[in-house]
Amino acid sequence: MAQLILGQLLNGAIVGTLYGIIALGVSLTFGITGIVNFALGVFMMLGAYAAWYLTDTLHAPYPLAVAGAVALVAAAGWIADQLLFRFTRNDLVNGLLVSIGLIAALEGTALLAWTSTPKEMHHILPGVFFALGLVVPKMKLTVFAILLVAIALTQLALTRTWMGRAAYAYAQNAEAAQLMGVHTGRLQTGVMVYSTALAGFGGALYASLYSLEPTLGSLYVLKAVEAAILAGIGSIAGALVGGIILGVTEGVGSIYLPLAFRDAYGLIFLVAVLLFKPSGLFGGRR
Amino acid sequence: MRTLAWAVVAALFALLPLAVHSDVVLTVLVFACLQGMLAASFNLIFGFTGQLSMFHAAAFGIAAYATHLSMEHLQVSFWIGTLLAACLVAVLSLIVGSICFRFRLREFYFAVVTLAFSEMARLLILNWNSVTNGSLGINLQEKPTVWWPGAGVVKLDGTVPWYYVALAGLALTLLVCHRLVHSWMGRCFAAIRLNDALGDALGINVFRYKLAAFMVGSVIAAVTGSLYAYYLGSIEPGFLSVDQSLAIVAMVLLGGRRSVAAPVFGAFLLTALPHVIHFPAEVRSIVYGAILIATILLLPRGIYGTVSAVLRRG
Amino acid sequence: MLLEVRGLTKRFGGLTAVANVSFGIERGEIVAVFGPNGSGKTTLLSLIAGMMRPTAGTILWKGAAISEWQAHDVAAGGLVKTFQNPQLFMELTAMEHLLIASHLALKRRLGVRRLLTLLGAHAGGAQAAAAQDDIRRHAEGVLALCRLQVAAHRKAAELSYGEEKMLGVAMALMCEPELLLLDEPASGLGAAEIENLEAVLHDLRAQGVTLCVIDHKVGFLGKLADRAIALHHGARIAEGSPAQVLADPQVVEAYLGRRHA
Repeated sequence: MAQLILGQLLNGAIVGTLYGIIALGVSLTFGITGIVNFALGVFMMLGAYAAWYLTDTLHAPYPLAVAGAVALVAAAGWIADQLLFRFTRNDLVNGLLVSIGLIAALEGTALLAWTSTPKEMHHILPGVFFALGLVVPKMKLTVFAILLVAIALTQLALTRTWMGRAAYAYAQNAEAAQLMGVHTGRLQTGVMVYSTALAGFGGALYASLYSLEPTLGSLYVLKAVEAAILAGIGSIAGALVGGIILGVTEGVGSIYLPLAFRDAYGLIFLVAVLLFKPSGLFGGRR
Repeated sequence: MRTLAWAVVAALFALLPLAVHSDVVLTVLVFACLQGMLAASFNLIFGFTGQLSMFHAAAFGIAAYATHLSMEHLQVSFWIGTLLAACLVAVLSLIVGSICFRFRLREFYFAVVTLAFSEMARLLILNWNSVTNGSLGINLQEKPTVWWPGAGVVKLDGTVPWYYVALAGLALTLLVCHRLVHSWMGRCFAAIRLNDALGDALGINVFRYKLAAFMVGSVIAAVTGSLYAYYLGSIEPGFLSVDQSLAIVAMVLLGGRRSVAAPVFGAFLLTALPHVIHFPAEVRSIVYGAILIATILLLPRGIYGTVSAVLRRG
Repeated sequence: MLLEVRGLTKRFGGLTAVANVSFGIERGEIVAVFGPNGSGKTTLLSLIAGMMRPTAGTILWKGAAISEWQAHDVAAGGLVKTFQNPQLFMELTAMEHLLIASHLALKRRLGVRRLLTLLGAHAGGAQAAAAQDDIRRHAEGVLALCRLQVAAHRKAAELSYGEEKMLGVAMALMCEPELLLLDEPASGLGAAEIENLEAVLHDLRAQGVTLCVIDHKVGFLGKLADRAIALHHGARIAEGSPAQVLADPQVVEAYLGRRHA
């Protein structure tokens, strides 16, 4: 039994990191552009399909495929920002509606292009690790490590680089940041592009572990938003923790209760947290 | 003056089956009326009270299943079954609404929680095979029956009788929405939508009236779901999908958010569209998505809003 | 005593906005609250009106403890507050604002029976019709009192700042308050508008409405108020007649600095 729980804990942590990287994008976007970008889910999906296409059809080496996927998705994110999200800054409802519209349009396009037949990437890193009596696929652990590094780098970038600190300042006090010379338009576009790139990155890594179908992003983004709210939307560091908490809760919960309802646990936990601490576990000012 | 115009419109619609004999057209109109009920009731919550509920499709779908189940297991008539389903949805929306509104969570949390709840409900229905037959859905053999003067108990079968049922449902929905919006409660909704802190300071119990709008709208969606399922002859988990919610939002945005009847216009347009231009299901999503985006960015007041603004200026 | 505040305290993290304030207001009085910016005046009124919960202390309204009440219940109890920065319903006309503000008035006249009016404007019988006419007339009276008749059918977005502030007062009046809490009603107003405001407050007092008015502009309330209290850094530093309070050395120091005391 302990093995099972441990296994689910680990699995949950890994899935949670995927939630976390998207939740990071959600939090960043909310903090800087004032909307919750549900479309990050489709960008994750696009990243996954792009990586799959680049590895399996164009036979690019996997790391190059990931880089390519991230670049493509970032470009798509930039286009979406210029055409759509630029007009819904700080407008939560319209931003939500536009993202939902974008999701419908892009999922439909993906469905047309690749059909709903699941696509599987060939194994990048076959084989397993044996640790603590558990069998862990090597690729899963690698993805886990890469995601953690990516998130850590983002945190570092936010605190050390000029752009990052500008973003932080803006999130605290938009007007003051503007007066200090932060070019807010570029900052907002930059954050949009960065968060879509993060989502694309997550998707590209996802493709190496699971099978792809056009709606893969929607469940992930919902979980990511739940994780971001759980942690306190606007809390950058909290996003990862929120994601992992969610992933682990689901994983462990599904041992005791029917698997089919796994997706409900996150919601129940989230609602419970919001009832007692409306600003989320780590949320403060907002 | 306006009442007269509406009376004329109502009369025209009532007399339509005498002139139009095409079954296809009538069928489309039945669906359009039912979608219109969904759109108008959703607008009560969204356009007038300012709450983006992603629960509407869930109310619609849950009620359909609930009606069928109560007819099957409790041996009640369609109408009692619908009543029971409506009560179930009322209780569910009371719970969900209370959770979301009690703590004055930000509006978009309401959208997220209702979205997540709807997904949960859909998954529940999808997986509870013993009761709901899962992804296969349920085929409804029975038809509702009505007592008709002169003919006794008659089955509601065939397009024309259903046309009148749907039309009556739509008329009733519009009446209810109109009455609410133009009453003191409608003023509370407006206050909540425009500045709920001010409304609170003026003595309006914001929680209570948000909940009222949410419950009334959801119950109307429930009744619609029941009618829709029995007209269509089948129910499946897709009734509760995000796609269905999205379609409702698109109809309202297209028609116009500030009018009681304009969402119905949006509903008619979007229901007729796939019959005028035939496209496969995937393209339908793309079209809905594009319409949603286009209306938000280009026609934020919907067709009705834009047209009336132009007329006022002209 | 209509309103009594005992030991009211509000802390936001490390900042103490209101520190152990106690005072009372008798029916029919006009009480002024003075104090420089940041002295906690608005927070004090917000606490009383139920817009936030106190960290400590009690608020007694007509003998009942109301510190845990929600803002709408406090308003329903007869204690209404206006906003320092005018809060409005941007798309609506002034008259529509007043109709929304008539919510409590309708509730008091009809109680549960107002649900009948949902069925139809004329359902609910003669009593409902009479109540609604009464409210319409009251709204027109309030508009006249606040000198807002010309603006009645203009949208809120088109009003001048002075008109916006008066609309805030007008809405509060529609709630039929026993005690009206006015948060800096004169700030941002020109001389003519202040005279207008003074006249309105005189009329209100004549009608039996008790008033508690915050103002930063000392001259305005000096003539009008019966009593005054002064706040500084959240604490009450003086109480008495306006003349007494304004002459109090601590108050002068708070406003003008040590050299002038």
